[in-house]
Amino acid sequence: MKKEDTVKLISSDGFEFIVDKEAAMVSQTIRNMLTSPGSFAERQHGEVTFPEISTTILEKICQYFYWHLEFASGKDREFPIEPELTLELMMAANYLHT
Amino acid sequence: MNRETELVELCINAACKNRETVEKWRLQKRSLDRLPSHLADALLRRLITRRLLHPSLLEVFKHSAEEVDVKGDNSVDAEWMAYLGGFRHLLYLNIAECHRINSSALWPLTGMNSLKELDLSRCSKVNDAGINHILSVPNLEKLHISKTSVTAKGVKLLASLKNLSLLDLGGLPVDDASLASLQVLKNLQHIELWGSKISNEGAAVLNTFPKLTHLNIDWTSVTKLPNLSSLECLNMSNCTIDAILEDDKAPLTKLIFSGSTFLNEAGTLLYANTYNLSFLDLAHTGLDKFFFLSKMKVIEHLNLSSCMVDDNSVEMVACIGGKLKSLNLSGTWVSSAGVGILAGHVPNLEILSLSQTSVEDTALAFISLMPSLKVVDLSNTNIKGFLHPGGTDLDSLSLTALQNLKQLERLNLEHTQVTDEALFPLSSFQELRYLSLKSPSLSDISLYHLSSVPKLTKLSICDAVLTNCSLDKVKAPESLRLVDLRGCWLLTKDAILSFSRNHPQIEVRHELVTVLPFDENGRQHSSPSRLTSRTMQASRKKEQTSLSPYFVDQRMKYSRDELLALQFMSLPLASNSERDNSILEKQLD
Repeated sequence: MKKEDTVKLISSDGFEFIVDKEAAMVSQTIRNMLTSPGSFAERQHGEVTFPEISTTILEKICQYFYWHLEFASGKDREFPIEPELTLELMMAANYLHT
Repeated sequence: MNRETELVELCINAACKNRETVEKWRLQKRSLDRLPSHLADALLRRLITRRLLHPSLLEVFKHSAEEVDVKGDNSVDAEWMAYLGGFRHLLYLNIAECHRINSSALWPLTGMNSLKELDLSRCSKVNDAGINHILSVPNLEKLHISKTSVTAKGVKLLASLKNLSLLDLGGLPVDDASLASLQVLKNLQHIELWGSKISNEGAAVLNTFPKLTHLNIDWTSVTKLPNLSSLECLNMSNCTIDAILEDDKAPLTKLIFSGSTFLNEAGTLLYANTYNLSFLDLAHTGLDKFFFLSKMKVIEHLNLSSCMVDDNSVEMVACIGGKLKSLNLSGTWVSSAGVGILAGHVPNLEILSLSQTSVEDTALAFISLMPSLKVVDLSNTNIKGFLHPGGTDLDSLSLTALQNLKQLERLNLEHTQVTDEALFPLSSFQELRYLSLKSPSLSDISLYHLSSVPKLTKLSICDAVLTNCSLDKVKAPESLRLVDLRGCWLLTKDAILSFSRNHPQIEVRHELVTVLPFDENGRQHSSPSRLTSRTMQASRKKEQTSLSPYFVDQRMKYSRDELLALQFMSLPLASNSERDNSILEKQLD
């Protein structure tokens, strides 16, 4: 996997997730950060820090990115969400616009 | 309302699956308090539609929710209101039709500084005492109290709510004096006074509301209106109209006069500023002259239903047809020739009703020249489906003309003389979604033709002679969600149930059974009658033993006259099968 094709997502507690750029761009917010012209630090270094999103939630978000790429169109497999996570995940999804 | 993103939607689904899932997050107070209001509102809405909301669960939203709509929920009572009173950021509260709400239940609303809109419509136990609680909601801008028990005295009290811009007093005994006492409300833009006791004297003070744009005085004895210079929308249905809109200043956009009598006939509308009018409803007014239409160059919606419109008057409509989107000419004297006058002058017409007119098949060619049509109602007309009597070749099928209408979504041919063969052209209508037919001269062949309409969503084919066999064999379009088979008296309960088993996504309506579709989770929607779902369970058991191994087309066994004689026997037959089922149910129990 080439470095240009991936992006590093960092949770509030410093945990790093390396995901495909294509997957991360499922989030409209991340897409804007990575593609909009100008000197977004995120674009230069290929990493984004989320001080508001915990590791558990960010992991779930990453799983969702891949689920979306693979299944969202066909809907033949459900995306499992533990009810305990719904509130925090909802807020993160709202922020990431995904 | 902004649509939530996909993952937010999935989270809301997961959170509101059942009582257990709700318990998993309801104690996460820190998260709940941080919830952005639009997410809190969306979550609340879902809890309400899933009937999972109860008073103590309401409390967790008190720091986040801005909108609460529990309209029509009979469990909402004083306890709910006690919790809602603590919502600090609440802007909008709708408790319309919550029948357990009375005046004292409104007490917690006192001092809710954030509240801007309150809907108490049809809360029949709310009276003048309730108004006293509302008076201490200082920033209220919109108040709906139609059909409550508030009296003229209570209405007078509202004069202290200085920020009111909308006041819905529909169905209340508002009299001239109480309306006069509201004159201090200078911000009022929208007043609903339908069914009230106001007379011309009360109406005369309406011009003291400088911002009044919307007025509804439906079902009142008002016959005259003063000059209302900012009026945009007026509903004066079911009134006797003498002198209104005499100045030419009011920037009118919408006028509704259905069922009213004009003392000056068509002259009434002659002087009004109708240059910007987009909506005019004159249904059942009995008007016979329409020269006032000529000013309405931008009109989009025109209802002349049951007026004395003949083919000559249609020329007036054609002159202002450029922007017309919907036109209702049902119950008028318009003939096919009149439709011909319209053709070519209504490039944007989307909805056309010619129901209960004498139009016949030649009109279809004219209708096909109205390129934007989406909805066409030709019920109760002389449409036969053939251009020449006796002709059966494709060219003489008149409905073929409608194939030119590339956007046609909805077609009503109920109570016409169309036959099976005439419906053949419909099978190639690409966008047709809703089709209504009702005629005893339709049979299995119609069902066969219609089964190949690619986007058909709702099919109503009532009173037709359909057989069990054809229902069993029919290949329903994938898009189909509702089939209305009422009056198809030859069908049996077993055949209908077997059809809905084969097509679980389709709702079926028939006198013998109503089958609702299964939702995504495989659970059946709540059935309107308990009996229906029970009989369904019962006959499911029965199916394994008694499914007939062969079908006989009933029409081959009987002549038409014998069939008609059988029709009257179908009722006792039906009640027999009901009885069979109840016996069966007892055994099952």
